[in-house]
Order: sequence, then structure tokens, then C-alpha cells
Amino acid sequence: MKPSRILAFSRKEVLEIVRDPVTIWLSLFMPVVMLFLFGYALSFDVENAPLVVVDHDKSVASRSLTAQFLNTPYFRLAGTPEDERMAEHALMEGRARAVLSIPPGFGRRLAQGRDAPVEFLVDGTYSSTAAIVSAYGRAILYAFPSGSLQLPVQPEVRVWYNPQLRSRDFLLPGLFAVIMMTFPPLLTALAVAREKELGTIAQIFASPLTKAEFIVAKLLPYAAIAAGQLAIVLAAGFLWFKLPMHGSLALLAALGLVYVVTTVSIGLLISTLVRTQIAAMLITMIATLMPSFLFSGFIYPVFTMPAFFQGYAARIPTMYFVNISRGIVMRDAGLGELWLNAVVLLVYGIVVLTLATLLFKKRIA
Amino acid sequence: MIEVRGLGRRYGARTVLQDIAFDVAPGEAFGVVGPDGAGKSTLLQMLAGILRPSFGTGRVLGEDLRKHPDRVQARIGYMSQGFSLYDRLSVAENIAFAAAIRDVPRQAYAARKAKLVAMAGLERFEGRREGALSGGMRKKLALCANLIHEPPLLILDEPSLGVDPLSRRELWRILEAARGEGRSIVFATSYMDEADASDRVLLLRDGRPLALGTPTELRASARRRVYRVATAEPDALEGQLAASSAVLSFQKHSRTDYRVQTAEASPPAFAAATAIEAAEPDMEDVFTVASAEPGAGAAPALAQRRSGPADIVVAAEAVTQRFGAFVAVDHVDLEIRAGEVLGLLGPNGAGKTTLIRILCGLLAPSEGTARVAGFDVARQSEQVRSRIGYVSQKFSLFPDLTAGGNLGFFARAYGVPPSAMAERIAWASERAGFPIAEDALVRSLSSATRQRLALACAIVHRPKVLFLDEPTSGVDPLSRFRFWRLIAAVAAEGVAVIVSTHYLEEATYCDRLGMMMDGRMIGLGPLEALQRELGLADARVEDVFLGLIARERSKAVAA
Repeated sequence: MKPSRILAFSRKEVLEIVRDPVTIWLSLFMPVVMLFLFGYALSFDVENAPLVVVDHDKSVASRSLTAQFLNTPYFRLAGTPEDERMAEHALMEGRARAVLSIPPGFGRRLAQGRDAPVEFLVDGTYSSTAAIVSAYGRAILYAFPSGSLQLPVQPEVRVWYNPQLRSRDFLLPGLFAVIMMTFPPLLTALAVAREKELGTIAQIFASPLTKAEFIVAKLLPYAAIAAGQLAIVLAAGFLWFKLPMHGSLALLAALGLVYVVTTVSIGLLISTLVRTQIAAMLITMIATLMPSFLFSGFIYPVFTMPAFFQGYAARIPTMYFVNISRGIVMRDAGLGELWLNAVVLLVYGIVVLTLATLLFKKRIA
Repeated sequence: MIEVRGLGRRYGARTVLQDIAFDVAPGEAFGVVGPDGAGKSTLLQMLAGILRPSFGTGRVLGEDLRKHPDRVQARIGYMSQGFSLYDRLSVAENIAFAAAIRDVPRQAYAARKAKLVAMAGLERFEGRREGALSGGMRKKLALCANLIHEPPLLILDEPSLGVDPLSRRELWRILEAARGEGRSIVFATSYMDEADASDRVLLLRDGRPLALGTPTELRASARRRVYRVATAEPDALEGQLAASSAVLSFQKHSRTDYRVQTAEASPPAFAAATAIEAAEPDMEDVFTVASAEPGAGAAPALAQRRSGPADIVVAAEAVTQRFGAFVAVDHVDLEIRAGEVLGLLGPNGAGKTTLIRILCGLLAPSEGTARVAGFDVARQSEQVRSRIGYVSQKFSLFPDLTAGGNLGFFARAYGVPPSAMAERIAWASERAGFPIAEDALVRSLSSATRQRLALACAIVHRPKVLFLDEPTSGVDPLSRFRFWRLIAAVAAEGVAVIVSTHYLEEATYCDRLGMMMDGRMIGLGPLEALQRELGLADARVEDVFLGLIARERSKAVAA
């Protein structure tokens, strides 16, 4: 490896990037767009779920129960139909997510100290939302009429690390990992494929530049851009979305650097296998973006997956940085807890980079 | 320098090159000549160590091509077809990059760079981006980038393809200087004069060597196959030449003077000839003679040309096309009559394709007006398009349809009535010299066959004007000659034909020439008239072109 050749090549790469405003824009702007898109759009929190109430009792007690539901931020009134048939219709049409049905005599039975059954129907189409809505509903019903749960056992449940259970606080750290797996490999794969498409690679073939030098020289500038992307995305997360940071930013940045070198290497590996930019784009999307969404724990926890898919997820580096990012941001985890994830990322990067070097051919065929 | 034996390359089951054996000595210029698809690029890529040979052995600069291709790559200069430099880097940056990745010592760099840049005439453009240079300058720059490490061997894949004649001469001046320093040059070309100027030539066709030797030896082999035929009745002679099976190909040098290549090594006889004498073959003749398959000959017969003044079917006035600040076509005036063949000549980027696209109604001109077949190209482009035929550079055929499928599609697309379909297709196929029975997929046809099919598709609706955009690019001389005969036959039926080409020698097939450079029409008229205008009687087309460029420059200086 000759540093002068690597340096010359990296310098050329930087000049090319700097002189192409479209590339700069895309590379710096797109990650932020994705962060904002998902930061705002994606949420598992349930607020203002439309509720219809069928009140056959029309007593003080039934009105009080209805008020208990509507006094929370979780439900809003979406109608008071006459009977259950109409309520069911509202569910079918999607105008309501839940139905509270209070039978006649509810107030009377309650006053007599007898069992007072009410019906709480939940639309189970979106299963995770339904689970949350039914849990909220159950909690309100248990607490009625005194306003506090009076059970023989008084559980004191506390949620650690994300006490308000804000899903954005949980999603953003994972999103950092997904974004860094999406754009850096894409940019890198396109850059090499572009040289192949335009024929400028012929000049590289017929030169003393070695395969390893080529790979390293391509890695350096794109890893630097990726580091910049990481910085922008972190800044947007902490400053704009006010994501609470419980751990060490320095550690997050350091491990983030290891991660982006790995993701850029994946882009390089893909670029050695394709000839055109369009193929580079498609394969990068399929190989990085899709599995990152599904199998990284970003949205769906890996530990609830069947064993086979847990094994599959373990082959995608995104999961390790999701662990690292969430660990540091939400739990103030340190290297002591995260070292295994960090080591896997490091080894992964080295293996991919070695593979890219071996598979890159200084030949047309 | 180079030693190859039985070299060949196979892609899957298809052998694209075989049985190549030759040596190249230090300081030798070795030309590889052949049409597209002959295997020139494949051979050069193997010599450069960037393509693994499937058969045979080869040593380049003493290194085995199979065992140590990396050592070959590290020491040679290799220029691929097209442009291989970085368009977003400046001239100086591109050279600096090439020097750095090829380990040019810092002390030597400045002097070498200054020398090369001066020789290429690029001093004033050092800060300009490569992408903003003309095609000729880009090629010269690529050559500088490949000479900066002073390689003992230069491998150049069609270095002057589509480059203007002036840049081509400068390119060769740089190459001559490199050769003078003892560097060997292996280059592919389809220009026969370049082949003529090299020390030795390898003729390739369909992946096989056709001939190998010095230009003198090769020319000697074609002796008694090339004749000068003088006549007082050119029309009659042309008819006899076309009808004779002894004639492979012929070119008109002046109104009374023809050059004829024969199928047999014996002088032909023509009733309309006043004198027939053997001529010294040039490389073009050599290639024509060498690539004639036995039993070939007999160009398609020409219909009798209608006499009397023909209508003007194309009229352009001050047509200008701007793309941003770039002027692709600059105030071009043009009139073409029915039955006339106009050749648009000029290097890549001269504006030929843009002018054709305007006249086809595919592009509305920024300024000026043009009428084709009586309709305005900007406002009535629909009517224009239904009355013209257009063969684009890449022949827009559907590769996954059969030839018949393509013909049927174009006939329907141009609104040929179903009742006339079979008859029209038969007519177009016959006119284009294309066998109608062809039911193979287009992708499997040779480029010469595809070219004729594209012509058939373009005339199936009997257009008034036919546009052909570089239809003969990369085709061997004999196929080119035959294609031009087909064009003449179409014109003889009263179709105005506009053909663009960067092969200047094809000018002799045209009735009138339009010479283009930097978007301007720098010369327009019959070849003899242009020769007279410049006071260059009997000059070669290339010299006429250079004369026109010089006239244009002095006009610009005077203004």
C-alpha cells in the first residue's frame, strides 16, 4: 500500500463530490428528511382514540364513567348512538376504535353494591394499537368509581429508562442506526458504479494502483461523509426532537464511527458486484434498507422473533448499533455493557472490507 | 514488447476473438484495423492485462498476461474507447491524478507535464474542467494522462474516433513524438489512413485475423484488384459498374474518374470507360478486397434518376439551437431537393445530430425556421414526422422482436393501411437489400444486417425525406459501400436523403456536402465546388475540410 497513491485517489474523489452539488445535497439532506419523516410520522403512542358510547342507563353513574374515559388524553368522543348495532357500524366504518356499552340498571346495581358489568369493545385490526387501547380502557374501568385502584395487592409498577413510554424516545435512537445503514452504503455503491458506467475505471485498471489501495481510497472520503451525516442526524435528534440523552455522547460518536465504516464497507462490497448505478441502487436498497427496517429491532423487537429470524437479524449489523444507540441514549450504558455489540461491528466491518478487496477485480472480465 | 500466440477470448459459448499471433518491437506502431465487433477492443484489453485471455499465451513487456496481469497494468499506458478521464476535474487535476496513481516522481512531474500540455495545445485550458473541453481536446488530454509516466508501451483503443481532423493531426503528432522516444504503440482504428501510417497492421474481421503485415506488403497483396476508370459518360458507367459481378466496390473521385475494386485479380472491362488502368492500392482497398467473401459483388441496381428540376423538400433558414449558453447549431441555412443526397460531415459535437433532430421535428429550434415536406418543423411537427424516415445512430429497433416484427411495427406506427402492409414491407425490404424471410431475433443479427433492417423500417411508409444519423459508423468499408449504394437507390426514387457521417471519405458518395464544425455550416455544396472555392483542385476531402476550418478562423480573426 502506497499512501501517496491512496491520498491522490481520495483527493480526486473529494474534488468530484465537492463539484457535484446534487450529491452533496442528497447526502446531507436526505438523512435529515428521513429522520424528520419517521420522527414525526411514526409513533406507537395512542392519543385521542375515537370512542363511541352507548348509554342505555343514562344515570349519574353512567355519565360519570363516560366522563372518566373522556377526561384522559387517550380517548375522544366519536358519537353516542342509540344501540349496539349502530355502534358496531361505527367500528366497521372505522369512525370508532372502541365502543363503551353501558347496560340499563348500571347505576342502580352499582349503588346496591352488586356486580355492574359493562361492555368495552376494541377494534383489533391494528393489533398493537388495540392492545394499548384495551389496556387503557381496563385501567379506567378498574379505577371506577373511586378514581383509584382498590385491589388487595397494591402493585407499584415503574417504567425505567422511558418513564413516559414516549415511543419517539425509543424510535429515534434506532432510527440513527437505520439511517446510517441506508445512505452511506448507497452513496458509496453509486460512486464506484458510476466509474464503471462512465468508463473512468479503465484508467484505474491500467495503473499500478492495487485493489486494496482502491478500496481504502474509496472508503476514506465516503466514511468521512458518513461521519458528517451521523453528526447532522444526531444534532437533529438531540436539538430538534429534544431526545433525552442519558449516556455519553463521546461514546456514541466513537462507536458510530465504527458503525459507519462498516456500512460504507457494505456499499463498497455491493459495488464490486454490480456494473451499473441502477443495479447498485436496487441491491443496496434490498440488502441494507429492508432488513434494517424489519430485522434490527428498530420497530419490531428481535427477541420476540422466531429463532430462525433472530439468527437472520444477527447477520445484519444494524441490530448491533440499534442496541448500542438505545443503550447509550436511554440507559446510560457504557462499554462494559455494550462491548460485545461493538466487537461484532468491528469484526463485521473488517470482514466486509476484506471481502470487498478480494472480490474487486482490476479486470473487465 | 509484445509476444502473443494463439490468443483468443470467449464469452460463454461465443468466441469473439481467436488465433491472434504477432510480435511488437520497441518503437513500433502497430495498427489493429477492423469494423465494429471484429474484436479490436477485446484484443487491446487483453494486451493491457485487464481482460483474461480464454486461449493462447501472451507476454507484454516481458510479463505473462495470465500470471502477472497486474505488472502489465502497472507499466503500460492504456486509453479505452470513449472518455476515461474525470469530467468534474480540471485539465491540470486530471494529469496530476494520473501522475500520482502511476508513481511519477515529484521532481520529474512538472517538466513532463509542461512538455505534454504544450504539445497538446492545452496550456490555456489547464484550469478548465475536462467535461467542458471539446471531444478532440479530451482525447488529447487522455493521451497526456497516459504519457505522464513515460510508459514503454501505449495501448490505444480507437483514439481518434469521431475527433475533428485538426485534433486528429495533433493527436498523431504527440504519438509520433512518443514513438520517436522509443515507445511502442498498439492502436485500434477504423481510419485507413492511420493504418497506412503505422509500421505494421493486423486486419481483423469477425474475431479472426484477416491479414498481417506492413502496409506495403498488404497493399502489394491487393495489387491487380484496384483500377482507375476514366469515363466521359459517368451515368452510364455507374450503371455498368453496379451491374457487373466483377466489381466489389467503387468510388467516384471526380465526375470523370472512378476507382474500382474487383472480385478477381484481372482488369475489368466497361463499355462506357475511356481508360482503365491499374491503380496503387491503399489500405481502404486492401480491407475491401480482404473482406470480400467469395461470390460477393454485384451492388444493387440503381433506378433511373428522374430528370427535370425537383421540388425543394427541406428549407431551413437561420436555424439555431441553444442549450443554455451552449450553441449547438448556429444559424444554418439549407435547401435540399427531392432525390438529392446531402452528406453532413463533421466531427462529434459539430451539431450534425442536433440539426437532424430539428429537421425531423423532434426538437423545436431556438431561432430560425425550417420547413420539411412543406410543413413547419416547430408548429406542424406531427405532419413533418409522418412524412419523414429517421434512422438514429443506434438504430432504434426492438432487439427482442424478429425482423418481420420490427417492420410490421413501424409500418403500423406510420399508419400504413393493413391492405397495403405486405406489399409495402416487401418493397421496403427489397429497397434496403434486406431478406424479407429473415425471422431471426434482431439481437442476433450482425450490425451490417441490422443497419439494412433499420433502413427498411425507415422507408416502409414511403417518406419524402430520409434522415440517417451516422448509419455507417463502425462498419467495414465494403459494407459501407454497399449501404451507400442502397442510399443512392432510395434517392433515385425521388426521396431527399440527409446522411451524417464522420468518415470524410464517404463524401464522394454524396451529391452535395454540408461541412459542420462547432455548430456552424462552414461549407455547403458539391465537393468539386468546394474544392474550386478553396483553390484546391483534386484535394482530399480531409484537406478540403481543413481548408474550410482555416477559412472560418481567418474570417473570425478579420471580424
